[in-house]
Amino acid sequence: MQSCTHEALQKNDGITGERVRLLKKAVMDAAPGICTERALIWTEYFKRKENRSKPAVIGMAEALSEVLGRKGIAIHPGELIVGNFSSKRVGGSIYPELHGLPVMLDLFKFSGRETNPLRISLSEKLRLAGIVPFWMFRFLGIRAYRSIPKKVRLLFDQLIARYYLINEAGGISHFAPDYERLIAMGMDGFAQEADRLQAGVQKHSEEWNFYEGVKIIAEGVSCFGERYAELAERMSGTEPDTQRKAELQQIAQACRRVPRHGARSFVEAVQSLFLVQIALNLESLDNSVCPGRMDQYLYPYYEADLAKGIITREKAHEILCCFSIKMCEIVPVFSRHLTNFHGGMFNGQVVTIGGVDRDGKDAVNELSYIFLEIMDELRMRQPNYHARVHAGSPEEYLDKIFSILSAGSNSPALYCDEVIIETMRRNGYSLEDARDYTAVGCVEPVSQARSFSSTDAAIFNVPLMLEMALNKGLRFGRPFRSGAKTTAPEEMKTMEDVKAAFEKQLRYKLIDLMDDLQAIERANRDYHPTPLTSMLIRGCLDKGTCSTAGGAQYNFSGIQCVGPADTGDAMRAIEQSVFIEGKFSLRELAEKLKRNIPDDKDRTYLKRIKKFGNDCEEADRWVRYVIETFASTLSSLGPNTRGGKYVMGLYSVTAHEYFGRINGALPNGRRRSESFGSGISPSNGMDKEGPTAVLNSMNRLDFHAAGNGINFNMKFDPHSLRGPEGRKALASLVRTYFHRGGMQIQTNVLDPSILIEAKDNPKLYPHLLVRVSGYSAYFNDLTPAMKNELIRRSYLSCL
Amino acid sequence: MNTLKGTLPQEETSTAMVFDIQRFSLHDGPGVRTTVFFKGCPLRCLWCQNPESWKRPAEMAFYEQRCERCFACEPACPKDAIVRDAKHRIDFSRCDACGDCAAACMNEALRTIGKPWLLTTLFEEIVRDKDFFLDSGGGVTLSGGEPFLYPDFTLSLCAMLRQAGIHTLAETCGWFDSRLCELIAGSLDAVFFDIKHASASAHKTLTGKDNGLIIKNFMALCELMKDIQPRMPIVPGCNDDEENIRATATILRKAGKQSIHCLPYHSLGNDKLMRIQSSQAPAAIQPPTPTELERVKTIFKEEGIHAVLYS
Ligand code: SF4
Ligand code: SF4
Repeated sequence: MQSCTHEALQKNDGITGERVRLLKKAVMDAAPGICTERALIWTEYFKRKENRSKPAVIGMAEALSEVLGRKGIAIHPGELIVGNFSSKRVGGSIYPELHGLPVMLDLFKFSGRETNPLRISLSEKLRLAGIVPFWMFRFLGIRAYRSIPKKVRLLFDQLIARYYLINEAGGISHFAPDYERLIAMGMDGFAQEADRLQAGVQKHSEEWNFYEGVKIIAEGVSCFGERYAELAERMSGTEPDTQRKAELQQIAQACRRVPRHGARSFVEAVQSLFLVQIALNLESLDNSVCPGRMDQYLYPYYEADLAKGIITREKAHEILCCFSIKMCEIVPVFSRHLTNFHGGMFNGQVVTIGGVDRDGKDAVNELSYIFLEIMDELRMRQPNYHARVHAGSPEEYLDKIFSILSAGSNSPALYCDEVIIETMRRNGYSLEDARDYTAVGCVEPVSQARSFSSTDAAIFNVPLMLEMALNKGLRFGRPFRSGAKTTAPEEMKTMEDVKAAFEKQLRYKLIDLMDDLQAIERANRDYHPTPLTSMLIRGCLDKGTCSTAGGAQYNFSGIQCVGPADTGDAMRAIEQSVFIEGKFSLRELAEKLKRNIPDDKDRTYLKRIKKFGNDCEEADRWVRYVIETFASTLSSLGPNTRGGKYVMGLYSVTAHEYFGRINGALPNGRRRSESFGSGISPSNGMDKEGPTAVLNSMNRLDFHAAGNGINFNMKFDPHSLRGPEGRKALASLVRTYFHRGGMQIQTNVLDPSILIEAKDNPKLYPHLLVRVSGYSAYFNDLTPAMKNELIRRSYLSCL
Repeated sequence: MNTLKGTLPQEETSTAMVFDIQRFSLHDGPGVRTTVFFKGCPLRCLWCQNPESWKRPAEMAFYEQRCERCFACEPACPKDAIVRDAKHRIDFSRCDACGDCAAACMNEALRTIGKPWLLTTLFEEIVRDKDFFLDSGGGVTLSGGEPFLYPDFTLSLCAMLRQAGIHTLAETCGWFDSRLCELIAGSLDAVFFDIKHASASAHKTLTGKDNGLIIKNFMALCELMKDIQPRMPIVPGCNDDEENIRATATILRKAGKQSIHCLPYHSLGNDKLMRIQSSQAPAAIQPPTPTELERVKTIFKEEGIHAVLYS
């Protein structure tokens, strides 16, 4: 539910507000569906005999050009920015050569999936069924290993994903394209550059093929734009409304020009990048193709148009609203299995505003403010809006951000420039390139236009390493050892022994992960090169090398450490119960865990040992230990096949729930199959001391270890942040947290409906604290009558 | 109690009973604050929403909503005071608040309210949030109960906090030894002072004590310190009549005060009485409506006093 405040669209009255309102309504009302076009055309292309023997990069470029040339196109009423991701108003495509196979198989097994149901007709289903046999032995996962047993083992492992899940098996994506150069010189500019460079290399060499692929797809994308120009011309011919007719003619003009050529105006710039945004999503994977720092690279066009008198602030606002709504017309199509890890309809198309420029000066401009207004007014699923903050961020900018957040919006997520830039520097970015960062995906910092970092390469189940460390390398209840052989618990005499066993298990399984991941990396390189993506990442054209083969200037891979708070809390609980209090021997504790902590008394005892997030040094240092151990182990295992480092991310999307279901009981009192804490947030319901205590704990961690970013989600009850005091307090919390080394934060002022949920299901929010002046209470302590009273007051306070 | 031995000793072993410490308090003074609730209060207001603050010693509370009727508490009690009542779990005539049952309860349905805090420990607890205080212009709020029931302790604490550069504020009911006024003015940055009723006899009926000492202390403190803010709970049928508001305004003018903070009564604390041992019945008071509050504000305005309404 969108929060109840907000004058929303009233700010732009008249036609502007009306257009945006109608576009938003059309998109919000549309039932998301599955689009078969990409899958079918792709298959047709690769089924043709003559195409099978072509170099992969040329095949990819031709296949994508064919999709762009044949897919259905549409211009919807009222649109100023045109282009459709799929044949549905809101739809997702299937990538049969990547992770599409399980999706297609799911379609027959399940008529209606409960989470994220997507519409598809029977005839569409049947047509998809027709292509399953072709891809059965051709999709990426199965091509990773040559040997049959290894193939089977990898597929089986990934289907259960106990220790880790390799997302990269579904493609890479996750980058911020060079839209600055695209807008300036258009596809033709890139094609000319490729042509010039191609002249210098040997014919049919790998480089030559790569340049050829770039040229083919540059032409394919240009033609894609021209199709919209034709459509708009046709539509304007029959359009009765004179104003709409004129708009259609302008659209036609713009699409005649871009993306083939450089943009001449603000609206052309936005149009150009949006069409390429569609093409990029169809090339590799519809996950995290990120426009990035739009307020920066669009600003010169805005300024020039203002000077020429051909745009107003309101008009720019409207154009960007249209763009923003368009970004919501795409949804990912995941198999049931993958939905476990990527819950919600998440495409991760990030737009980042503010921060410093390449010279270190504050870069906030008028467009930054326009984007802030838009994210607040629209509050839609996509794009993901993020805001950069640094010590010199203007007061007005911060004020605007905090008033939006304290009124209940959960975007923008906030990023601390100082900490992120320093982290990127330590990992090898130049100062200028680090300053030019944007987040991609969820929270991962990369350099705009320069990084090809598989930031979501894999997610790793860390608490399971502790489980195996307490059981000689076996998971609880399993007959065979799957981890490293380590000491039996009865022989562990100090925490140092426990740490040694944990570190050994961790290293052992991370090495397994690296083997599998690198096989997938090579498969991406050999079977799924991405010429369009590579054209838009600096370094690839110069080197004549595809981004999947290491052409980009920066090449990282992100491995997510899932469950760090639970693992740290568990180690703290071992230290306290076994080695300090002597309440149990380690062996006894391990036995209890194997039996899922049968005695409630033991569980209560373990739960009461102070946990991460309560400003308790003894607990916090164990979480610090876990993340530092994970990060240093990872960095000792690089580089990836593209020549870059493996870096740790501290975010989990929904993997903490999935892994939680797999794992046995943990010494922190968490029983079998209970969820872990999300990202680097304290484990569920364990932060009882309020926001300042959580931040004190957070600031005991060193986020420079998290080169792939962190996700720290902080929830507030609907009362706390009301009024100007609330806004100021929130600003103060974030400022202090950043100043002391915090990296990222996303705030979430709980909607009053949360209280209703908490009333119906008390276990969901065990420590939800509610505050009214001079009064505060845990919601669960209250009688139904008082709960109702608080619910009533919460709704009142946000009217 | 060794009130006022001339100078206040900063005994490290000095303790006070505290029943709650609330970090990130936003509406008890400026900025981000930590509010310390002292246990024990000389008044017994009919409308009190913190009845657990009345008695000084620790006491037990039972949160019926949390209880899963597992009776793990039963064998834990050395006094055989656990009962299987539907609404309550403790027979207070036997209970000595040892807290053993609370330790045994896995659902936090039984809790000990109040524990003694050492001066130094409490100080350390507060300074944990110093960074936030300094950034937001916040600090610590001493509340209760009545913080000046522990004058040595609270004033020493304030001296230590001031040394650490932390803003200090106390919320008081005003019923304390008048000799404290000078010390309070000297060691606190600000005071929120409650004027619950202007008439001595009504004050006695409503709170159990007449207001003579309170008004005297108020006047004295207003002489001595600048940052003293009068406050008033707005309790329909108790103190919101026109006569009382005008009389209150007169007191304020005499003290040279131009504003008052009005805290509308709310019933959110009604749950609490059932949880603890209390002979008091929940007050049958309805929270004031916005119109009633506006009426109060207008009368104050006619008297030249700016009334700030809290929500
Ligand atoms: S132990 Fe707690 S939950 Fe169980 S009966 Fe006693 S009060 Fe209720
Ligand atoms: S506090 Fe002590 S005496 Fe009172 S009921 Fe609990 S265990 Fe019994």
